[in-house]
Amino acid sequence: MLRVLLSFCLLIISVDVLAARPEVVVRIKDNLFHPANIYVPADKKIKLTIVNEDDEPEEFDSFALNREKVIFGQSKANIFIGPLSPGRYPFFGQYHPTTAQGEVIVLAPGEEAPDAN
Amino acid sequence: MRLMLTFLLAGVLLLPLQTVQAEPSSGVVDRVYHPYILPFERELEWRFMSRQNEDGNELLQRIAFGHALSETVIAKFYAVGSRDEQHDDFGLEGYEFEIRWMMTEQGKYWADFGTLFEVEKYHNEKRWEVTTGLVMEKEIGPTSLTVNTLLVYVWGDVPDQELKTQLRVKYRYRWMPLLQPAIELYTGDDFIGIGPAFMGIQRFDSRRQLKWELGFIAAVDSVVKDHTLRFSLEYEF
Repeated sequence: MLRVLLSFCLLIISVDVLAARPEVVVRIKDNLFHPANIYVPADKKIKLTIVNEDDEPEEFDSFALNREKVIFGQSKANIFIGPLSPGRYPFFGQYHPTTAQGEVIVLAPGEEAPDAN
Repeated sequence: MRLMLTFLLAGVLLLPLQTVQAEPSSGVVDRVYHPYILPFERELEWRFMSRQNEDGNELLQRIAFGHALSETVIAKFYAVGSRDEQHDDFGLEGYEFEIRWMMTEQGKYWADFGTLFEVEKYHNEKRWEVTTGLVMEKEIGPTSLTVNTLLVYVWGDVPDQELKTQLRVKYRYRWMPLLQPAIELYTGDDFIGIGPAFMGIQRFDSRRQLKWELGFIAAVDSVVKDHTLRFSLEYEF
């Protein structure tokens, strides 16, 4: 039984490892997210690489995305989100909630991100 | 398709329960563990469980302190109290040490996995209990399916030293932080119970938050009354 369970888990992990994912890099500097608006395609798993350039840690927190992740100062961390439906998903830095705020904006098929981003 | 795979996995995890041993149970309805851990996590927890069946009322409370040891491991120490049915007084039943390990990063794979290891020593008794198992969570849109598949081994001054299995399942709708309704299912020790549950999170400031859970689980395999009210408060700081 244990063997069946382990094989099943390994199969799930192998399939996921082989799948290529779009990656978006987000920086934290002076307790702000750059960019604050992150445009991603719908129905895809996305890898967010959060680079914390501040000395203090920050916690990426989003109830809408169902994610909580601590990024230590002067280091980076990965957050995997999606597949998501088109819409806006707010997030914030739990240690600096008044300044560190942003949104993941999921674009519908055919929709394009504004150039400003 | 995703939903089908979810139920397939739940079915695979259910298979070991065919070997459940028959014995009156007290600890089946407890808490459905999530696989996630945060570094710096420190928490105080109070858990309350009241079971009412034909044998009377069983009351169990746990007070715990937990501390993350790393980005993926948390340790927790519990003092467990219960009501003595003979003398109708509430006292210390045992001590429990728990380790949880987050095995995969949230969202990286098809589902998120963790493991649980608990050891409990009964107070003033030569009786030990070890619980270990797999903790899984699968995000399905705005809902989350959490499955705990556990093995429990009791030894010492007990009539039968045996290996038992438990399954705990929670299907939760992430409606809003403060209120997330769910359905919970518990099986083990010849017991199958199901019922509504609610959980929520209240944030106070950047590092302090209070999590609460409430559930009412009724036995579905019993013709007589057998239901459990469970409640927990977890303060993270």
